[in-house]
Amino acid sequence: MNLKRAVPWIAFGLALAGAAVSLIPSAKPRGFDVEAFGHLPVLEGGRVKPLDTIARNALLMIRGKQSVSSEGRSIGPDEWLLDVMFRPEVADRQELFVIDDPEVLGLLGIQQSRNRYYSFATLAPRIDEIQRQYVAAEPVDAKVRSHFQSAVVNLFERMFLYHRLKNTVQLEGTPGLAAEIAARAGPGAPQRHEMLAQLAHFKPLLPVTPTGDAWRSVGEALAGTTTVEPGLEQWARLGLAYQAQDAASFNRSVADLGATAALGRPDAVAQSGHEWLFNAAQPFYSGMVIYVLALLAVFVSWAWRPVLLQRLAFGLLVAGTVVHTLGLASRILIQGRPPVTNLYSSAVFVGWAAVLLGVVLERMYRRGFATAVAAASGFASLIVAHHLSVDGDTMEMMRAVLDSNFWLATHVVTITIGYSGTFLAGALAIGWVVRRHLARRADPAASKAIVAMTYGIICFALFFSFVGTVLGGIWADQSWGRFWGWDPKENGALLIVLWNAIILHSRWAGYARERGIMAMAIFGNVITSFSWFGVNMLGVGLHSYGFMDKAFWALSAFVASQLVLMVFALLPARFWSARRAEAPAPDKGGSEGASQPV
Amino acid sequence: MTLRTTNPVVRAFVSLKLTIAFLAALMVLVMACTLAQVKLGTWPAVEIYMRAWFVWWDVPGTEWRIPVFPGGALVGLVLLVNLFLAQLVRLELAWKKVGLWISHAGLILLVLGEFVTGAFQVESQLAVEEGQTVNFVESPRELELAVIDVTDAAMDDVYSVPAARLERGGSIPIPGTPVAIQVRRFFRNSDLAPRGPADPPSPVTAGVGTGVAVRERPPVSRDDQTNQAAAYVEPVAGGRSYGTWLVSNGLGAPQSFTHEGRTYQLQLRSRREYLPFAVTLKHFRHDVYPGTQIPKNFSSLVTIANPSRGEQRDVLIYMNQPLRYEGKAFYQASFGKGDTLSILQVVENPGWLIPYVSCVLVAIGLIVHFAITLRRSSRRRQADSEA
Repeated sequence: MNLKRAVPWIAFGLALAGAAVSLIPSAKPRGFDVEAFGHLPVLEGGRVKPLDTIARNALLMIRGKQSVSSEGRSIGPDEWLLDVMFRPEVADRQELFVIDDPEVLGLLGIQQSRNRYYSFATLAPRIDEIQRQYVAAEPVDAKVRSHFQSAVVNLFERMFLYHRLKNTVQLEGTPGLAAEIAARAGPGAPQRHEMLAQLAHFKPLLPVTPTGDAWRSVGEALAGTTTVEPGLEQWARLGLAYQAQDAASFNRSVADLGATAALGRPDAVAQSGHEWLFNAAQPFYSGMVIYVLALLAVFVSWAWRPVLLQRLAFGLLVAGTVVHTLGLASRILIQGRPPVTNLYSSAVFVGWAAVLLGVVLERMYRRGFATAVAAASGFASLIVAHHLSVDGDTMEMMRAVLDSNFWLATHVVTITIGYSGTFLAGALAIGWVVRRHLARRADPAASKAIVAMTYGIICFALFFSFVGTVLGGIWADQSWGRFWGWDPKENGALLIVLWNAIILHSRWAGYARERGIMAMAIFGNVITSFSWFGVNMLGVGLHSYGFMDKAFWALSAFVASQLVLMVFALLPARFWSARRAEAPAPDKGGSEGASQPV
Repeated sequence: MTLRTTNPVVRAFVSLKLTIAFLAALMVLVMACTLAQVKLGTWPAVEIYMRAWFVWWDVPGTEWRIPVFPGGALVGLVLLVNLFLAQLVRLELAWKKVGLWISHAGLILLVLGEFVTGAFQVESQLAVEEGQTVNFVESPRELELAVIDVTDAAMDDVYSVPAARLERGGSIPIPGTPVAIQVRRFFRNSDLAPRGPADPPSPVTAGVGTGVAVRERPPVSRDDQTNQAAAYVEPVAGGRSYGTWLVSNGLGAPQSFTHEGRTYQLQLRSRREYLPFAVTLKHFRHDVYPGTQIPKNFSSLVTIANPSRGEQRDVLIYMNQPLRYEGKAFYQASFGKGDTLSILQVVENPGWLIPYVSCVLVAIGLIVHFAITLRRSSRRRQADSEA
């Protein structure tokens, strides 16, 4: 008995401990203090961030992964960035550029094979051709580019990013920053400084004034000075040390750079320290793993030790929620913004709200069912978020009209909770369908509980999607004087509101019974996914090849799967596995649905 | 007090089936309108699907137009009547229904507000350069032929002919002047190019248009495109023709002719509405995030001068912070000319406050209703578990 009570707590504690393991400082690879290097604050994309973020995002954009193999071992983003900047001859041989498009490979004279990754050295001989194709394709509006054009533009942009990284601290093919400093008044120096300033991907040198935000690139700092500031000189030593693979000297330079930054901009150091911690913890990845474990525990519980394992699953679910919440909270703190600022963060938030609702439902109904649905929803949304994160920095700056924390916190958050609710209702309905068709024993009470949960969540979703939609209208009225402009995104939100209203009214009127409500709840997934993603794809143009990209296929497959599930939901009772108990009274399941309007 | 009725028409109008059917119809319309925007642009799609009583289908090869689906206006009206009657006839006036009463009242208000907007909202633009003073707003979509008597240096007399009138052709007398405008031809959209030797002879006999070749283009409607309209017009005064002129919103400077000592300018331009006050742009700001081109903020510091109120004051208009003045709201919309030109969106909508009220009503109503339901269902569950 005591064990049963302790199980959820043990599971909860173990899961959290597992998630925290990633925060233990890792051993220095080959003696280089790469972690301290990753902590250094720099300016890029309009905000101060740690070099670790730069390295991760760049590697993710170029390779689609956060690691690459080099000289026989797997290296992380920070070490990779060091190679790119100070040992380009090594970095050029790493299999870095992921290329999937057969036409682009054909352009390079490479036959498509199982290998998807190509080193810069492989691509370099064909760089003129790639650039020629890029120049031809780039002016074409992104909405109407062909598949090949999009792929070649994408490849060239990644190669250009790589090129900029190489030329941020020192120009490629020159002896290095130390020599550059020595020759700062020599012939050709202004041109080289200009090039460094133009190519710099990030700005590593602190602003001259202690409170300003005018961070400087190496080129800008070199131009027109006679005295050499400590930051420049420390970067020069760092470069030399890494080039010579002198770990001790490298670590000293990194420590000096950290000290310089801490002295000049303690705020930036603290900020980038938080972000480094967030990067290292990878809370959304840990959350994903914990959700899967919770889901597995529920599955096993259906066959073996149901009570014990359901408690265990619930403990895991709560641990996943805590990790997910911490990740979300860190993003809010780092960015200084409400939780939803772009498509990526909306996916993280949708999952979070759905999981939270699932935890509440599980506490209310205690059947393990809500745990399974919540864990599945949390996992699915984090997977979606992961696929949305490969475009670069997920904490980009908000464009002027969106730069309003008040409206981001009210409209955007409410509407996203509305998405969340509608998806959760759909997920519950899917769970109901699966249960109906797979469970051997019929359990009318459980079935009734699921219907009640779904109904409650639809009410919740209607409230939030309505309020969110109208708040969006009010924001629009505040910012361009048009409460309702029938803009696709607004229309998508309206569709969700209408659909939830239809479900509720059908139930109140008794037109739709249990099966009908469940099928309609699943269709809510279709409507929500259209409003969330489909609408964004419309802008990509129905008449373009670009429209037929991966996201479109993923969405189509999702919609198709939901339609199939709806058919299964609507199949009459004689098709169910668990038909025996409920077959005699086909009306029984609907007795609740047929109640008078409430 | 609840009314009960057996009248079949009323019963049909209050039925929940009608509600659901028309909510579904509204979903179909919204979906169709969204998809149509890809090709047509926002406004034409909204006109066809949402602001119309019916969605019409032009039978190919014939002149026939068949209504194939109720339009947004009709669906909105039916839902409104349905909701209103249902409220009176079906929904009892009881405390447990108070949430539904409040939220339905809010919904009625919301739909009414959309009708008010559709009927009365006017959108226009005010473009002003730094240091410049402007006392008119321009329509972003409609054009007018302005005939301006500029003889008096201190004051212009402006007569304007809407483009829709030009399109009908014929002779248009300009009231208060001896001038009448003969419209020879009107192009809703056109290309203007310098005349080459291969171009057919032009009917234009006066003004800069003699050297311009006009080619007709199909009109466009997408939000990011504008029509370059053109017309051949012949001013006639006192029985005398002043030649055929080319006017177009694509031509820069106005052209003028003189009749009996009075000089008249001709210009095809965006339709203007003059304001009882003037707006001067003192300074336009365009801030970006450090080290990037990502816009952080746009703002216009303007001076409002209103002689009728004896008012002169500075106002800062920026993102999400419009100026509401004399029934119009001025929003920072766009900019140009190396950040020295500011374009303000000007909206006049007497019903702008309605959605705010209705949102609050619906939200409160839903909270009350779901709270009542939740309390009842948790009581029921408690009773179940105790039993």
